[in-house]
Amino acid sequence: MGYFGLRSAVKISQRASYTGDHMSIIKNVTAIAKGMGITLREGFQPTEVENYPDGKGPLRGARLEQRFRGKHELQRDENGLEKCVACFLCAAACPSNCIYIEAAENTETVRISSAERYAKVYNIDYNRCIFCGYCVEACPTDAITHGHGFELASLNATSMVMRKEDLLVSIKTGLPDANKVHAEAVS
Amino acid sequence: MPDVNFIVDGKKLTAPAGTLLIDACKSAGIEIPAFCYYPGLSLQAACRMCVVRIEKAPKLGTACTTTVAEGMNVTTESPEIAQARKATLQLLLGNHPLDCPVCDAGGECELQDMTFKYGAADSFYAEPKNHREEQKWSPVVYFDRPRCILCYRCVRMCGEGMDIFALGVQNRGSSSIIAPNVAPSESPDHMAALDCEQCGMCIDACPVGALTSGTYRYKTRPWEMNHVATVCTHCGDGCKTTLGVRSVNEGSEIVRGDNRDKSGMNGDFLCNKGRYAFDFANNIERLSSPLVRQSDGKLKPVSWEEALTFAGKKLRELRDAKGANSIGVIGSNRTTNEESYLLQKFARTVIGTNNIDHHRTADFVTLATALQGTTTADGKPRFASQRCVEKSPAILLIGGDPTNEAPLTAWNIRTNVRLNKARLYVANHQDIKLKRQAKAFAPVAEFGYAAFIDSLASANDFSTAVKAEEKLVVVVGNELRGGELAKLIAALPHAKFALLADYANSRGASDMGVLPDVLPGYQSLKGSTLASEYGAAGQSQVADAPGLDLLGMFDAASAGHLSALYVVGSNPIKRFGIDASALKNTFVIVQDMFLTETAVLADVVFPAANLYEKAGSVTNSYGDLQLVAKAADKAGVRSDFELIVRLADKFGHDVKTLVPFGKGLRAAGMSGDMGQTRGAQSGEADRHSVWLTANNLEPKLSPFDPFAILDEIQRVVPGYDKLLRLQLLSGNDQHIAPAASGLVQIQTGRKDLVLPAADTLFTSGSLTRFSPMLQDVQRHQASEHTDHLASAD
Ligand code: SF4
Ligand code: SF4
Ligand code: SF4
Ligand code: SF4
Ligand code: SF4
Ligand code: FES
Repeated sequence: MGYFGLRSAVKISQRASYTGDHMSIIKNVTAIAKGMGITLREGFQPTEVENYPDGKGPLRGARLEQRFRGKHELQRDENGLEKCVACFLCAAACPSNCIYIEAAENTETVRISSAERYAKVYNIDYNRCIFCGYCVEACPTDAITHGHGFELASLNATSMVMRKEDLLVSIKTGLPDANKVHAEAVS
Repeated sequence: MPDVNFIVDGKKLTAPAGTLLIDACKSAGIEIPAFCYYPGLSLQAACRMCVVRIEKAPKLGTACTTTVAEGMNVTTESPEIAQARKATLQLLLGNHPLDCPVCDAGGECELQDMTFKYGAADSFYAEPKNHREEQKWSPVVYFDRPRCILCYRCVRMCGEGMDIFALGVQNRGSSSIIAPNVAPSESPDHMAALDCEQCGMCIDACPVGALTSGTYRYKTRPWEMNHVATVCTHCGDGCKTTLGVRSVNEGSEIVRGDNRDKSGMNGDFLCNKGRYAFDFANNIERLSSPLVRQSDGKLKPVSWEEALTFAGKKLRELRDAKGANSIGVIGSNRTTNEESYLLQKFARTVIGTNNIDHHRTADFVTLATALQGTTTADGKPRFASQRCVEKSPAILLIGGDPTNEAPLTAWNIRTNVRLNKARLYVANHQDIKLKRQAKAFAPVAEFGYAAFIDSLASANDFSTAVKAEEKLVVVVGNELRGGELAKLIAALPHAKFALLADYANSRGASDMGVLPDVLPGYQSLKGSTLASEYGAAGQSQVADAPGLDLLGMFDAASAGHLSALYVVGSNPIKRFGIDASALKNTFVIVQDMFLTETAVLADVVFPAANLYEKAGSVTNSYGDLQLVAKAADKAGVRSDFELIVRLADKFGHDVKTLVPFGKGLRAAGMSGDMGQTRGAQSGEADRHSVWLTANNLEPKLSPFDPFAILDEIQRVVPGYDKLLRLQLLSGNDQHIAPAASGLVQIQTGRKDLVLPAADTLFTSGSLTRFSPMLQDVQRHQASEHTDHLASAD
């Protein structure tokens, strides 16, 4: 309110000195009154912001848009294997250089992803991530996505470097319903 | 050939007749895409990517097989050409997996680039792709068949370039596949395999990700690494190798070696060791903390301060109590020139002894002294450079087996014979592989090289042919040294000579005077200007009598006359088969990467950096000087340069007289002193700063800056005075020849002092067992080889 009031006052004095038109002063006063009226009316309306953090449910009242870009999730394919093939394209696309990957080769006995290579280490440094979504855009296998995790603030900068284990969806959530039973049985 | 004029894309160009259109365009900055064409290899015309429109020709023509002709008018880019190339790509991609995200070539793949450029990403083929599993052909060569675009570069590279012919084509037409020389039926594990030199040249030549490197595959991606071009540490040929490094917790680690910029004197080439044997640097057995032997006889990790103080003080005590000549110093043939120079300066001016030597792998002293004062027919010095082997019209190879010991020399000889029709003469006691390229071969009895040199004087076919050569380069193996070598040099009065040595800086160690009887640049211990300068700078007058050589030091140690031994980057105990008990009464300091046979006997061990972890310069066997760059880094180790300086400091020596650094340079450590205190001597002490000023160089501000010593080397070492900094700094090599006169003639001492390392393609002295790759390849070759022979019966 203060801001708009000030703007109007500046306008008034400018117009007055430029034109010397006294009628305009009256017009301006009416305008201020009208503006203040809206402000006052709104002031007595019920609050319409989200009741975060005191709301119900796991989100504690926060409501997120579908395309909200929150903490990343590394996805799994329909067999439960990691989708990431450690191609480093997300790291290359990242404008704030916060993705660190170490690649390794799948062997016959240890198979982590469906291609020859998988990410042995996959870190995102949330001190630096600007949630631009370029990594998601770059990923050829749709392995990295933006999830809806948003309570990322911390007083300890080292805890903001998230490792693959922090980002990877669990086997159960990553699988279609039909496979979940199997996954549960296996684990 | 006469020049012809022709037009490409409206530009008027001129090139010698006979030049390939693709090459002529490249020199004019017009790039024509090509998959099967590879400079220097035979023409294949298999891929049709290089098609261009040549006026008056009925169809598009291949630029890689067309030679330029007078009046030719060529268009290299047009919608028609783009369409043709796009169609070629679509055919290639018909059965291509398109797994660029996991493919090792992704990011540096010629097919990927072309697909991107011509927009051929979509394919008209609905048929399922024909998948084949990857094959491991050897520990270092893997083959992914679906990615192969059948350009045959690998086949030609291995056959023509390497003269191995390990790769071939099986089947015909669209079923053609590239196959290695050991068929599954012949291999112990029933998989196709390669029995070859494991050089990886086929991988380098492959335009796509079909052939991939066993040590690098699936580790990272090309844009994730820093690429540092430096000089290979293994043999004495001086190849430039580009190391891909990435940062890790303990510094930065080398993930890949290859020949990315091809700007070195090795051109396209790298052998197995230069490409893959960097892994010793990442070995977990590396020392990363100084060790000091405790009263219980065990080596225990201690702090740097404690170890350096202990070593420095003890060395000082022993010097003062037992005399400087009771101390010996052994240098390395893998450290930089700066470190070698510094080490001998340390021995001569800090300790004050000439007891300094290194493991000599070739007799460079004889080479320098025998060639001094002589010139070729056109008045040039007679020291051959590696570049001469590549270009000279005639080469005589006496002794040695470059294919195994100096692979680049062998490559250059082969290339020269193949492309320039150079005449190769070989005299050897074995049927070495290069005999296949030789115009004439003279069999020599083992140990019969003296007789062979005598036979050069008589008129037989071989000697007549050799002597008729006007521009002859003689490459001498390590069988010849001392008197025999001098005799050979005298027998071929106008030829240029090169000695084959082992390891990156054998020549440098000799040139830098890591020898008991000569100063740097093979100058005399007595009367040379350097001798008097060392006398002025050192705390003790440099003795003008030769010191003990390497074996002499161990003899003295056995006799109880050696109070201390300082070994830098060398393993003499193993190398010379010395009995460990010889050192039981000697205080031993060792600087090394690993706990070698020598290091376990030491009282103090300092963990040292290797050649890939430091800056400086090295000189290859031929005398080609190059800069090395710091690629990797490891926490807990220090360069030999720094260690020598720190040891001198703890010894109680004024470091400024050892490394000329800092602003107070002019008065050699006595800042503010303008020379008055030393009267007539002041001119000597000022020399370095006067020289720096005259050469527009700044004084170096750190005692650990190798360039401060490079300045001094340039100032005082004959031959190195002509070094061109800009040449070196821009990554070029420069050939150095020792001074033409004033060199000492040394009495031939013990013959066993020169001990060739006899390294093969898959060994590299003490580093061999610390390189898992070399071990793997040795095992692979052994198993494939035995079975290969067995099946031949
Ligand atoms: S998340 Fe996607 S873009 Fe990033 S490395 Fe994995 S596969 Fe590549
Ligand atoms: S060879 Fe090239 S085009 Fe083929 S998958 Fe590898 S990077 Fe992609
Ligand atoms: S590694 Fe070298 S020798 Fe072996 S097949 Fe490839 S090019 Fe030939
Ligand atoms: S393996 Fe590579 S170099 Fe050899 S033919 Fe295939 S694509 Fe060409
Ligand atoms: S030829 Fe010698 S210098 Fe060249 S890569 Fe091989 S070992 Fe290294
Ligand atoms: S480069 Fe000319 S046909 Fe392949």
